[in-house]
Amino acid sequence: MSGRRVLALARRIAEQFRRDRPSLALLIVAPVVMLALLGWVLRGSELPPTRLGIVNMAGLAAAQVRQAVEAGAASAGITIVDVGGDADAAIREGLADIVVLIPSGFAPTSPGSSPPIEIVVPGISPGDDAARVVQLQRMVAGLTPSAVTVAVRAVYGTGTPDALNSFAPALIGFFGFFFVFILTGISFLRERIGGTLERLLATPISRGEIVLGYSMGFTLFAALQVTIILLFALSTFSFEIAGVRVAIGLGIPCAGAPFLAFLVVVLLAVGAVNLGIFLSTFARTELQILQFIPIVITPQALLAGVFWSIESLPEALQPLARLMPLTYAIEGLRNVLIKGVGLESRALQVELLVLAGFAVFFVAIASRTIRREVA
Amino acid sequence: MEPAAAAPGAAIETRDVAKVFGPVHAVDGVTLALEPGRVYGLLGPNGSGKTTLIRLLMGLARPTSGEAHVLGVRMPSRENLARIGYMTQADGVYAELSVWENLRFFATLYGPPDEAALNETLRLVELGERRNTPAFELSGGMRRRLSLACALAHRPTVMFLDEPTVGVDPALRVQFWDHFRRLAAQGNTLLVSSHVMDEADRCDELLLMRAGRIIARGTSADIRREAGTEDLEGAFLKLAPAGEPQ
Repeated sequence: MSGRRVLALARRIAEQFRRDRPSLALLIVAPVVMLALLGWVLRGSELPPTRLGIVNMAGLAAAQVRQAVEAGAASAGITIVDVGGDADAAIREGLADIVVLIPSGFAPTSPGSSPPIEIVVPGISPGDDAARVVQLQRMVAGLTPSAVTVAVRAVYGTGTPDALNSFAPALIGFFGFFFVFILTGISFLRERIGGTLERLLATPISRGEIVLGYSMGFTLFAALQVTIILLFALSTFSFEIAGVRVAIGLGIPCAGAPFLAFLVVVLLAVGAVNLGIFLSTFARTELQILQFIPIVITPQALLAGVFWSIESLPEALQPLARLMPLTYAIEGLRNVLIKGVGLESRALQVELLVLAGFAVFFVAIASRTIRREVA
Repeated sequence: MEPAAAAPGAAIETRDVAKVFGPVHAVDGVTLALEPGRVYGLLGPNGSGKTTLIRLLMGLARPTSGEAHVLGVRMPSRENLARIGYMTQADGVYAELSVWENLRFFATLYGPPDEAALNETLRLVELGERRNTPAFELSGGMRRRLSLACALAHRPTVMFLDEPTVGVDPALRVQFWDHFRRLAAQGNTLLVSSHVMDEADRCDELLLMRAGRIIARGTSADIRREAGTEDLEGAFLKLAPAGEPQ
């Protein structure tokens, strides 16, 4: 293994990219535009399976509200679970999907001085959260409109459940995989059909050096991509032009260390690079690389938790989702960005390990397809 | 400069080497010993097995049977590739990279690049003025020259040049051949494939290939005399083994 050769290859890929503006734009601008568009759409359903917990700290004063909620839950097909006295713990331990917390001092007869009823949600799958909150608000507020004020709070993340907070980590993972996969596939296909792979193999470079050099070169751009997406997603720069206030960036709150998010994406990208190299063997034209999108990308987009949590998938599809690298990347990114977990978290450790395992597996199958005998 | 070869004298050696792709005998039992310091012409029609023979010698293909040795080392050998230069039929350069970036990239795969030597190589193929031009902006002939420069940048001892002068204009073709002669005079061994018969006179020796076999070997004059023909094309037709098509 020669570091010089690996670096030469990585540098070459960087130099090629520098002159290939459209691809660079695809890698950087496209994800930001799509994220911005999604932010616009979301900040503007059917009820998922729900386990409702009720924590009543106001005693008899809240009996009427409690009855209303229970009746409403029964008619909406919501299961009521016993969660004890701690709403947040119930959500954290996964006992309930949503908890109605009636605070002590709750006084329905004097709405001005009464603390509000809290609706507590996990804040991880905001599509689900929003549907549940809407349902509950209807139940509570519909029955005693004048007496009750309701506040919604998420255990993970901040305050109001904004669908974007949860979509952002998923999309960061998705874009990281998608664009790196496509660009590597096409780039390596060009090596194969353009005669440069033949020439590359006529030098003392080894297969391992080739996949490593490729991984480095493309992961560099994946890292650049994720940096820019993170910057755009997490911060807000606002300024005024001619009296009009312009805000750039989505300002999504980030609970954890951006470095860990970075690590997740880098591992995912190494896998994507090598899957691209591997699959380029089975394509003869650039168009055929695009035909891998329905096979490789679409199932992951549907099943890996971008839109629906793995747990809400039909049971038969759940094991399939567990075979996809994107599943682990999205879970990891959500753990880091929403829950703010660190490396000490067992869940994150598993996710990083599985992603590393995928990367090693794809490196192995990619280097097997680069043979000196390329006919 | 010349590394010791196991078979004394021979820079390139094959023993009954063959490559079969399904029903096709692309190379059908070739035995050769080529001496250092000479330019060998590998002549033959399209599909006669020239490229496959070169790929066997490069170790890019594994022989179905027989052996191929370069500089005394049995191919395939990754380490030995450091002493071999290969100019492919396709240009095999990166379109987005500049002339200089292409050259430096390939040179770096062999060792830390020596800028002075690379500049010298660029001057040789007359691309010094174009060093910052991306390859996709080069004319066909210039790309061919860049391809040659990339094959020679690491100063190989043995060179396989697969149809190096295809698409190269006559003036430049003369320069290419002058350079090949110079390299041979320095003790290097060149095997140059071509289907252009008029390049044959620039070679020290010719190998006529047809249907995977070497059907004749010698200088252009030898071969014509032996076949009793005026030109090499005629010799080709006469020397074709009985029962061969065409």
